[in-house]
Parts: sequence; C-alpha cells; structure tokens
Amino acid sequence: MKRYDLITPEGTRDLLFEDCLARRKVERTLAELFEGFGYSEVVTPGIEFYDAFSGSARNFRQESLYKLTDSKGRLIVLRPDSTIPIARLAATRLKDSDTPLRLYYNQSVFSNNALLKGRSDEVVQAGIELIGGDNVKRADYEVLCTAVEALASFDKDNFRLEIGHIGYFKELVAQLNLEDDVIEEIRMLISSKNFPALNDLLDEIGDNDITRALKQLPSLFGGIEVLDKASDIYANDKITGILYNLRKVFNRLSSLGYEGKISVDLGIVSHTDYYTGIVFKGYLSEVGQSVLKGGRYDNLIGSFGKEMPAVGFGVNVDSVARHLERMGANPHVKPVDAVIFGEKGFVVEAIAYAQKLVREGSKVEHSLFNSFEETVEYARSKGISKVITVADEITETNV
Amino acid sequence: MNKPLRIALTKGRLEKDTVGLLEKIGYDCTSIREKGRKLILPVPDGNLEVVLAKANDVITYVEHGVCDMGVVGKDTIQEMEGKFYELVDLGFGRCRFALATKKGQSFYGGYNVKTLATKYPNITRKHFESKGMDVDIIKIEGSVELAPLLELADGIVDIVETGTTLKENGLEIIEDNICPISARLIVNTVSMKLRQSEIENFVDLVEKNL
Repeated sequence: MKRYDLITPEGTRDLLFEDCLARRKVERTLAELFEGFGYSEVVTPGIEFYDAFSGSARNFRQESLYKLTDSKGRLIVLRPDSTIPIARLAATRLKDSDTPLRLYYNQSVFSNNALLKGRSDEVVQAGIELIGGDNVKRADYEVLCTAVEALASFDKDNFRLEIGHIGYFKELVAQLNLEDDVIEEIRMLISSKNFPALNDLLDEIGDNDITRALKQLPSLFGGIEVLDKASDIYANDKITGILYNLRKVFNRLSSLGYEGKISVDLGIVSHTDYYTGIVFKGYLSEVGQSVLKGGRYDNLIGSFGKEMPAVGFGVNVDSVARHLERMGANPHVKPVDAVIFGEKGFVVEAIAYAQKLVREGSKVEHSLFNSFEETVEYARSKGISKVITVADEITETNV
Repeated sequence: MNKPLRIALTKGRLEKDTVGLLEKIGYDCTSIREKGRKLILPVPDGNLEVVLAKANDVITYVEHGVCDMGVVGKDTIQEMEGKFYELVDLGFGRCRFALATKKGQSFYGGYNVKTLATKYPNITRKHFESKGMDVDIIKIEGSVELAPLLELADGIVDIVETGTTLKENGLEIIEDNICPISARLIVNTVSMKLRQSEIENFVDLVEKNL
C-alpha cells in the first residue's frame, strides 16, 4: 500500500522561517489595530457540528466542507468560517452581556477546494465582529474605518476598499415577484457581471423600470458618480435612502485621507441570505482575489436564538503575507548575536552564561561542538559575528 | 505609460478570430502573427500584452489575476467554472453541444442506466441532472465518436459544428440544444476594479468592432 508520510495533503503546506515571520507580522499588525479599537480576542473550536453551518442564512456548500464524525456518529466539520461560530457564542454564552460586543479572531479556516487549482484548503483569517448596539450607522462606520486602516497598514499606496449595499439588489428584485430560483439566477449573473446572459434572462421577464435597472446593475461600480447614475436609473424611498447613506459613508471615508482609495460597487451580491446591509471588499494590487470581505448581517445571530444586529469583516492573512513577501516588505530571519562555547568542564557555566545574556535581551546559540575551531566555523557559515568562550574566564572572539 | 493589460487568448481558432478583432480595432498584431515560439507577445499600440494558452489555462490565469483578461469558449467556462467576470459575448467561435447515439438506437428507452462518453463530464452531468436522469459518465480525451462504435458507451455529448464526422461514423444527433457556445471575454475580478477605466475602454472598443 502506498504510504503518504512524506508530503502534506493537497492545499496545505509547511511554513518555514520567512513565511512564518510574514504571517506573524500581519497577525500582529491586525491584533494591535483591533485591540486598539477595544476588540477582545476569542478562539472558537477547530471542529464544530455540521448543523451550525447549514440552514438558509449560513449556507455553506456541502462539498466545500471537510467532514468527519464524532464518537456518537454525529457529523462534524472543520471550521469553514469564524463569523458563524462567533454568532453562535454571542447568542449563547454572551447573550446576557452588555452590548455592543467587540470581538476579534485570528484562526485557520478550512475549505475543500477543487484539486490542482493553486488554492489553499487551510487559510488563516483575522477579523472583527461588532455585535449589538442600536446605532447601526455608527457601527458600520466604525467597522469600515477599521477595514481601511487594516488595508492601509499592509500597503498604504496600493489598496482599494469597495463598498456596496445588498439592499439595493434585494429591493429591486423584491418588486418583480419572481420565483426564488429565478432570483438566484439573476443574482449569479450579476455577481459574475455576465451582461449577455443577464440581458437575455431579463428580456424574458419583461421590459420595465426594474428590469432595466437590473440590467445596469453589473456596471454600477467605480467612483462616487456611480451613486448618481444609480439614482437616475431607478429610485424609490428605500433605494434613495440606501444611496444617500452610501454617499455619506463614501465621503467620510475619503475625507480620512483615503481620497481615491474608496470605490463603490452596487453589484456586490454574494451571500444575499447572509448579508442584510452594507457590504464591502478590500483589494491589494497584484493580488488576484479580494483580501478583505465584510458586511452587515443582522439576521444571523437571531437564527441562533437571540436577535442582535452585527457587522464585521475578515482578512485573508495568508494572501496579505504572500503579498508582503513579494514586495520584499516582509521581515527577514536574522542570525543570533553570538554562539556560546563552553570549554571542556564548563558546559554548565556556558549554558548559565547563555541564559544570562538571553535574560538581558540578547539572542544566542549554545554550541554543541567539542572544539572552539568547529564552533568558529559554524558561526561563520551561519553569519553569526561573535563566539563567546566560557572557561576560567570569558573571552569574546569576533569571527 | 501604465503597465500593459495582459490578455490570455485560447490558442487555435479563437486566437485567430481574436487577433482579427484586435486588428479591426486598429492594433498592430504583427507580433502575434509572427510569434515563432514566443508565448508572451506585446501589442504596444493597445498597451496590451497577449499570452497564448490552452483554454483551461486561460481561465486559471485570469482567475489567479496573473492575466487581467482572457478570451475563452463558453464550453470551457461551463466545464471549469470559477470566479471571474464574464463581460462580453464575442459572437465568434459559435458551436453547440449535442447528444448523439448510434443511428437507430433508442437512447431513452429501457430501464438500464445509460453510459455517456464525453470530453465534458461536468456539462454532461449537469444536463442529465436537470432531466433527473442518472447516467454513467466516462471521460474520453480524443475522438469521442469512437466510444459508442466500440460499445463502450450508449451515447456521446460533444461539441458539434457541422455534424459531418458524426454522420460518417453512423451516429445521429438526438438532441442538439444542450447549450449554445461562443467565445467570451472574461476579466479578473480585482483587475476589473483596480484598472477599471483601461478595461472599460478596451471593452468599448471590442463591442464597437464586433
């Protein structure tokens, strides 16, 4: 039988040295930012019951989940997302806490991707969830500002935050009285900006203000002028309200010194069962997928038994770390300051001296070689500039 | 001058049609026509860089964002799926998917599960799933027409342009509206946002010259 003991499963990899430093740097930057805004870290289990991730507002494709069974035969999944477990814990263990809850996470999520497409099945995500609080607009604004700060901290010249509102699409299709599967088809075509097929489908439904507006929806992205265009195409009270708020958010974010870094896409229509309000995505140039995704999801926590509005986002830490490495902005592994060599009979003293230096803040290695010469050779090959010999006296040699 | 937009073309017939389109727009495509063995070719007056690749790879490159745009057949898009914007139906490269069996054989008769040979297992599976039919699918890489002749399969699902090959081999089309195919212009989701005006200009030119 073939043994698979020398390689890691498809879609996973070992991270060594520089890769780890790059990932930790992104994690630390985000943790500092989140903690700075008063968010507290939570860790949820790596495995959860399948039931937590199925159901209309939490629809995960069955085939994308890694599944196993527990000792009672119940279906378990490797955590595919962090927001749903956090919604579960907010509705259960935190249900009587004062709101708003400000929670952040930094943990792996797993998805079973198609083979050989160059996708990772295990990805570290870090993000925040702002739960509860009656003033939805302030909460949205806070989370969006945090998202912009996060993106700017990665690559302040080459990022883009794109905002939209799921209500625009929902309000339009609600007026057409369509079957759910037709709405889903329209949604998919808008989401992939498939103009030809979208036009054909909407022509079948009929020619009216709403279908004309839906036909334009995939092109409604770009700068603030998109909002003017949208209100010219079609408006009712609800849509006017949505566009007014987006405009305010857009202007406020731009005025924080991020002119030209904020854009609008009313055609963001993914996860329409899950999101209920503002939605946004963050991009870094040269990274082929969005690195940040978020939005308002007011019904999710309610589906676990306690109604609470919420808004949040997650960052793909691995994508950002790879981007930093490509740009050469990642930290490099540095050699230690010195190698400590104990002469024969001074092994204990040498380790004690090494400990003393470490306590004082140096980085040192303890030599495992029998001779001073071998130790010097080793230090040279590793680029370490000093050898400290411990015997009756302590001698420093620069190598 | 900005970094050029990189566009991946499906080698072969779609490549020729696309080059024709680029020339109609007014770009000088000599570098593509006289490419030799080069795989990345500049079209400087359009600030474009053309990459030639196999159909499936066009999608892979665009999805990962190493190419901003791509030209690929709807058949490949349906078979591969993936996350990108499908902006324009270019109209060329038209053909259709058909179901064919040996002449005179009744495909839908009997209770036995039918076996189908195809280069497009996903499209075939989806088609029969929508009919509520359970079928066995065998993936064939070369001439699919062989499979029913050798009695490996009851029928085939394949792209048909004229139908001559089928006829010459004693096969007949029993369904030919499985899905109409033509070439599409696809765009990476991030490029679309970060290089919006350049891509919109290009799409405008393309649409005007179709």
